[in-house]
Amino acid sequence: MLPEMRQMLPEDRRVWRFIGVVALLVALGIPLSVALGVQYDYTLTNVALGGALLGVLCGMTGTFAMLRGQSLLGDALSHAALPGVALAFLLVGREPFALLVGAAATGWLGAQLVGTLTNTTRLKQDAAMGIVLASFFAIGVALLSYIQGRADASQAGLDKFIFGQAAAIVQRDVLMLAAACVLVGATLFAFWKEFKLLTFDPDFARANGYPTRRLNLILSSLIVAVIVLGLQLAGVILMVGLLIAPAAAARQWTRRLEQMIVLAVILGAFAGGSGAVLSAVERGLPTGPMMIVVACSLVLVALLFAPERGVLWQLWQRRTAHQLTKEG
Amino acid sequence: MHGIERLLIEFLLNFATAEQINIFFGDPRNTALLIGALVAFATALCGVFLVLRKMAMTADAISHTVLFGIVAAFLAMLWLGQEPSLSSPLLLLGAAAAGVGTVLLTELIQRSNLVKGDTALGLAFPFLFALAVILVTRYIPNVHLDADSVMVGEIGVAWANTNSHCLANCEPVTITADDPRATVARTCVNCAAEGISPRSPRAAFEETCGNCGTFSAAEAWQRRLISAPPQLVFVPRALLPLGSVSLLNLLFVLFFYKELKLATFDAGLAAAFGFKPALLSYALMILVSLTAVAAFDAVGSILVVAFFIIPAAAAYLLTDRLWLMFVIAPLLGIFAAFTGYEVARTWDISISAAMVIMLFACFSLIWVLSPRYGLLAGLVRRWRQHRQFAEQLLLGHLYNHQRTAEADAECARETLHQHLNWSPRKTAHYLARLQAGRLVQLEAAQVRLTLRGEAVVQAFRTELLAH
Repeated sequence: MLPEMRQMLPEDRRVWRFIGVVALLVALGIPLSVALGVQYDYTLTNVALGGALLGVLCGMTGTFAMLRGQSLLGDALSHAALPGVALAFLLVGREPFALLVGAAATGWLGAQLVGTLTNTTRLKQDAAMGIVLASFFAIGVALLSYIQGRADASQAGLDKFIFGQAAAIVQRDVLMLAAACVLVGATLFAFWKEFKLLTFDPDFARANGYPTRRLNLILSSLIVAVIVLGLQLAGVILMVGLLIAPAAAARQWTRRLEQMIVLAVILGAFAGGSGAVLSAVERGLPTGPMMIVVACSLVLVALLFAPERGVLWQLWQRRTAHQLTKEG
Repeated sequence: MHGIERLLIEFLLNFATAEQINIFFGDPRNTALLIGALVAFATALCGVFLVLRKMAMTADAISHTVLFGIVAAFLAMLWLGQEPSLSSPLLLLGAAAAGVGTVLLTELIQRSNLVKGDTALGLAFPFLFALAVILVTRYIPNVHLDADSVMVGEIGVAWANTNSHCLANCEPVTITADDPRATVARTCVNCAAEGISPRSPRAAFEETCGNCGTFSAAEAWQRRLISAPPQLVFVPRALLPLGSVSLLNLLFVLFFYKELKLATFDAGLAAAFGFKPALLSYALMILVSLTAVAAFDAVGSILVVAFFIIPAAAAYLLTDRLWLMFVIAPLLGIFAAFTGYEVARTWDISISAAMVIMLFACFSLIWVLSPRYGLLAGLVRRWRQHRQFAEQLLLGHLYNHQRTAEADAECARETLHQHLNWSPRKTAHYLARLQAGRLVQLEAAQVRLTLRGEAVVQAFRTELLAH
C-alpha cells in the first residue's frame, strides 16, 4: 500500500533535503573512521554492523512506541524477558535461538499483562509496568538461581545474555538482525496506514471498523521482538534508551510520520554503529553504554537546535517578541 | 555512622546480653527476616505516594541511577585523595543526589515541552546509568560495583556482612622489653661470621624481644597476652542504614501527612494554600533515593522497585482510605518477606527473588478477590446489572402494555419472548424469577403485574427519569 500521493509542501521538501544530508553524513562516517585509523576486523565489523542494524530496528519501532505514549514499556519488556531466557535454558539448553524465543514469549506475556492490569484495575500504566517489570524479573532471578544451584557448568554466561555483551556478537547474530530489519520494515510498510491511524487516533480507527486489537498486538509484538534482539547488545536497563532516543531526536526535526521514521532509522543506525566503533577505539569503554551516550547526545542536539521547536529557537523567538513589544 | 551504631547497641544491651545479640544476628534467618521487614516497611511508606502520584516508574529510574551517584561519589573520594570505601556515608549522599538529579533532569527535558514525561524519563535514566557503567569500567574496574551486583543483591548473606563493636577488654596491648609477658629470644651475633657454634665460649649473644609492639585487643587475645577475650558485638552492616531510612520515612509521613495528602490529591489547592507541593515532591524523591540505596545493598535494585510498588498497588486495590493504605502496604510487604524466605529455603532459590514472587502472588490474589475493585467483584457486579436490566425490561414492557388494546398480544405468556426479542428459555427464566418475587402473576396465559410489581416499576421509572 503506497502512501497517497499529495502535494509536497515546501517545508516538507526542506526536511527531506535535511534528512538526505544527514544520511550522507552518516554514510561518510565509515570512510572517515577508516581514514582516522579504525581497523575493521572481524569482531568490530560484526559489532558495528549489529549495532547499526539494532539502531535501525529501534528507530522503526521506537517511533511508534514513543508516539503512542509507551516509551517506558520497553523497560518493562526487557526485564520481562529474563524468565523466558531461564525457562528456555531449563527446557532446551544453551540454544541461542531457543533463548530468544523464550525471551520473546515472556516479554510478550509481560506486555499483555501490563495491558490487562491497566484495563481491569484502577492502577495507572506506570504502576502496572512497575509491577510486571519487578515480578517478572524476580521470577527470572529465582529461575537463574535455581539453575545455578544445579551442578551444571553449561549455564556459565547465561546472565551475559541479559546484561548485554556486545563482543560476543557473531555473524549469525548480524544475519538475524538483518532478517529482522527486513521483516519489521515489511510489516510496517504493509500496515502503514493502519498503524498511523492507530497511533494518532485510535478511537477513530476503532469506529471505522479497523481491527484495533489485532493491530495493537502486531505492533507490540514487533516492539517485543526488537527488544529481545537488542538485549544481547545493549542489556536490560539500557535497551529502553536505545529504543526511544532515535525517535525522540527525530521527532524534533519534523512533523510528519514518514520523515520522522526515516530520520529515526538513520540516527539509530548512526548511534548503534558509532557507539560500537568508539568503544573499540578506546579500551575500557563498554559498547552498550557508548551507544546510549551517542544516542542521547543526538537527542540533546535535537532538543537544542531543532528549527521551530528547539530550546534555542524558543529563546530566540521570545527575545524577538520581547523586542517587538518594546518597540511597538 | 559508627557512633550511632554504638548507641544502638548500647540501647539493645538494656534488653539482652551481648551474647544473646550475637546469637540473634548470627542466625541467617533472623537477620534476613529483620532486614527484609525493614526494607518492606521503609519502601512501602514511599511506595504509597509513588503509586498515587503515578510516579512508579520514577522509582524504577531512581533505583538504577543511584549507581551513578555512588560511582560519582566514589570517584570524587579518589580524586580528593581520600581512602574510598563502599560503606562511607558520602556514597549515600551521592546516591541521594543522583536520585534527585534524575528527577530534575527529567523535569528539565519535560519543561522544554518537546517530549512527553515518560519519554523524558526513558531518556534520562538510561543515560545516567550508561555514564555510570562507563565510569566504572574505565576508572574503577577492580571494585565490586558492577551492574550485576547492583541489580541482584542477596539478602541471605546480610548476616555475614557485619560491623563489630567492642564492649570490654578493648584496649590495645603494648608490650615492651621489660614487660613480664615479653618473650625473650637470644641470638648469636658472631656465630655465622666466625664459623663457631653458639656453645662456644667465644660466642656473643644479643637479647631481642620476640613479641614487642602494639596489638589490637583481638590480636592480643589470639597471642594469649590478655586473660579474657575482648567482648565483641556484631551487627549486620545493613541494619543501621535501613533502620534510619525506616525511621526517617515514618517521621516524614507522620509529620507531613496532611500536606502530603493534599499535595497528592490536589496539587493546585495545596499550592494555593501555600504548602509548596514541589518542595514536598523533592523531599519525597530524596527519601526514595535514600531508601533505594539503603535497600539495594540487601535485595538488589529491581527487587527494591518491587517492594516500592507492589504492596502499595495492592493496598490501592483494597481501600480508598489513605491511612489504611499506610497500614496495609507495610504489613503486606513484611508478610511477603517472611513467607518468601521460607519459600526460598524450601526450593533453594534466591531469597530476595522469592520475596518478590510472594509479593506478586499476594498482589494477584488481591487483584482477583478484592471486595470492591477485584476481578471477581467486577464480574459479579456486571452479572447483577445484567440481571437487573433484564428484569426491568420485562416489567417495563408489561407496565407499558397491560391496560392497552394490544395487551392480549403483547403480554401473552407464549409470545412474550418475541416482543422482547429474547429466547423462550431466557424469557421463561426471568418470568419464573419475577413470579417467585411476587412481582408478576399468570392469569389464563396472560402475564400481569401484581400490585407490588407496579410499585417496583413506578419506583425505578421515577428513579431513571430523575437522572
